[in-house]
Amino acid sequence: MTELDPGTLITLITILVSGIGIVLGTAVPAIVEGRAVVKALEGMTRQPDVAGQLRTTLLIAMALLESTAIYVLLILLVLIFANPLLDRFF
Amino acid sequence: MEGFFPQVVFSIFGVPVRDTVVSTWIMMTMVVGLAVVIGRRRPTALEMLVDFLNDTISDILRRPAEPYLPLLGALAIFIAVANIISVVPFLVSPTRDINTPAALALVVFFSVHYFGIRSQGVVGYFKDLATPVYVLPLEIVGQLSRSLSLAVRLFGNIVSTDLIVAVIFALVPLFVPLPLVGFSMFTGLLQAYIFTALATVYIGAGLEASEPVSSKSSSKEGGK
Repeated sequence: MTELDPGTLITLITILVSGIGIVLGTAVPAIVEGRAVVKALEGMTRQPDVAGQLRTTLLIAMALLESTAIYVLLILLVLIFANPLLDRFF
Repeated sequence: MEGFFPQVVFSIFGVPVRDTVVSTWIMMTMVVGLAVVIGRRRPTALEMLVDFLNDTISDILRRPAEPYLPLLGALAIFIAVANIISVVPFLVSPTRDINTPAALALVVFFSVHYFGIRSQGVVGYFKDLATPVYVLPLEIVGQLSRSLSLAVRLFGNIVSTDLIVAVIFALVPLFVPLPLVGFSMFTGLLQAYIFTALATVYIGAGLEASEPVSSKSSSKEGGK
C-alpha cells in the first residue's frame, strides 16, 4: 500500500466516520422514539381522557430524543463541509 | 452545494448581511402586513390564533398565560413563518442560518431568568436555583446546554429537511420533490410548536416554587 498524505487520510476517515455515524446516530434515537410512541399510545388507548396531555408530553420528549440525532448530524456536517482538521495540514 | 448555505449578499458599514437576514426582513414585513390586514378585515381570525396560543401555553404552564403570551406567541408565530417561508421563491428560511436559532435561544435563556426573578425576587430565584448548594454547577451546565440544544435542534431540523429537498431536487427536479417539500413544511410547523413548548417548559420551571404567582399576576393584569 502506497503512502497516503495526511489530507487524503483525514478525508478518507471523515467519509467512513460520516457513513457509520449517521447510521448509528439516527438508528438509536429512532428505536428509542419508537418505544416512547408505543408507550404513549398504550397510555392513550387506556385513558383517552388524558390523551391531549400525553400528546404534549410525547412531543416534547420526542424533541428531546430527536436532538441527539441532530447533534450527530451537526457534527457530521461540520466534519464534511468545514473540517477543522483539514485546515491544519493545508 | 455552495448555494445551499447562507451567502453574504451585501454589507452595511462593513457588517456583512446574509441572504437569510434579507429574508427575515421581507418575512417580518409580510407578517406585520398580514396582521394589520387581517386585524382590520377579519379580527375573529386573529382572535382564534391568540386563543389557540393562549390555550396551548396555559395548558403546558398550568397557570394563566397572559404575562408570557406576548413573548411565547411571538416566538411561535415567528418560527412557524420562518420555517415555511422557503416555499416562496427567492426566499430562504431564516432558521437555516445557525445565527437565527441561536438568537432565539438566547432570548429564551434570558427571559427564563427575567420571569424567574420577576416572580420570586432576585434572592428567592437564586436561592431556588441552588437549593442544595451542590446542584448549582449542574444547574448552570443544564441551563447552558439546553439553550444550546434549543438552538441546534431548530437549526438541524430545518437544515436537514431542506438538504433532503435540495438533494432530491438535484436528482429529479420535477414533481418528485413536492411531497418532500410538504414534509419539510410539516417539520417546520412541528419544530415551531416544539420550540415554543420547550421555551414554555423552561420558563415554567423557573417559576416552579412560587404557587401564588398566578393569582398575583392575573390581579395585576386586571388592575391595568
